[in-house]
Amino acid sequence: MDHLLSINLAQMAFPEALPAITMAHYLFVSAAMFVMGLIGFLTRKNMIIMFLCTELMFQGAGLALIAFGRHHLAADGQTFVIFVLCVAAAEAAMALALVVLLFRHKETLSAQAWKELHG
Amino acid sequence: MDTIISPIALYLICVLGAIGLALALPRRNKVYEITGGLLLAGSIGLAILILGLNATETNQPLPNFFFYPFAILALGASARMITHPRPVYSALYFILTIIASCGMYLLLSAEFMAFALVIIYAGAILITYLFVIMLATQAPSSAAEEFIDETDAVAREPILAAGIGFVLLALLTTAMFRGIGDLPTPSDPETQMALAQDSVLLNLPRKVDRILDRAGILNQHERVVRNDDGTAALDIIARTITIENTDLGTTRTLGPNQWPDKLAADNLDRLGYNLMHDHPMTIEIAGIILLMAMLGAVVLARKHIELEDDLKAAQARKLGESMEAGKA
Repeated sequence: MDHLLSINLAQMAFPEALPAITMAHYLFVSAAMFVMGLIGFLTRKNMIIMFLCTELMFQGAGLALIAFGRHHLAADGQTFVIFVLCVAAAEAAMALALVVLLFRHKETLSAQAWKELHG
Repeated sequence: MDTIISPIALYLICVLGAIGLALALPRRNKVYEITGGLLLAGSIGLAILILGLNATETNQPLPNFFFYPFAILALGASARMITHPRPVYSALYFILTIIASCGMYLLLSAEFMAFALVIIYAGAILITYLFVIMLATQAPSSAAEEFIDETDAVAREPILAAGIGFVLLALLTTAMFRGIGDLPTPSDPETQMALAQDSVLLNLPRKVDRILDRAGILNQHERVVRNDDGTAALDIIARTITIENTDLGTTRTLGPNQWPDKLAADNLDRLGYNLMHDHPMTIEIAGIILLMAMLGAVVLARKHIELEDDLKAAQARKLGESMEAGKA
């Protein structure tokens, strides 16, 4: 019980290396966010929400990138997040244009309306 | 290599989470929603608790206290986002997720990215999403206030999807937690840390000049010596600076006790240098991707307007007249 009371709640400040267990915390959160995005993409029928879920997956990936960048004391992780942001912005523009296009054809946002694309 | 969470506990957490999320996903029958939410929250809490207990057992520091509210907020908001039947609320919960993950970015010393994320994601992308949601969703009529479109009210295959998702989570976390102990740690911590923090200053001699000037160390016509490859003559480890007088051609060296406190690279310096020096080609490609996305969006979303033949002729005549008027 003694060591429980004297736990060190302060994560190391920047120039110090991040301990493995702290990395594990962040990686767990990032993996859980990614999986929630995946589940949302699979289960929701609303096309806008489906694309929103892909953004959630981007977020999960971004958190992992930043955590690894912090672990290696390098800025590359943050640089990659900038590019992830870029791709997310491009994807949002395309996705919303597509959604608007599809909505004009069938007057519904449901992905079920395009079932015949199954082939 | 032992794992951070014992596999049995990990799989138990994943099964609990899968059941919870499958119950919480939207369906006509709302009885199980709260049970599902509680199960999901319990599994997330259990995972974080076990991670924390492991940290105290191995005498490693826990993450910063603020990690816990941010992590719980991020995961809770993302769970609510995929389970909420109303699209607008989903988008708002996603903004909450982003803000919580920005908090975690701050804890990981990525200040610039944290604020950029708030501005770009929460400020720009999500607002665009909200616009499209509001444009494309019919307002529920006042007669049926609780009317929610079938599209949003019922999830497709919730059990299967939750199962697949949490199998993936189990695999991911097992692999990560097994490998995490093998991650390389800085071999000589102090040197590595000093290098990691300030080595970018070597490549920014003008910034060094400016900081030294502001600290009142440089006299007139003095500047930091540039090495042959253009880097500043600093010794990051020994903390010495070599300064030359461009007029007289003399040099002097400052010792570690004269190293000004302000002479340190911040996150923005490191990020900007890394972006511009190590990934210049990627920036070009990102620019092309954004341009193509813009063109694609314009082409996809434009509306064909069918004009009658005489209308077209009238339009052509009008254009011709205006051009002639322009010439005259």
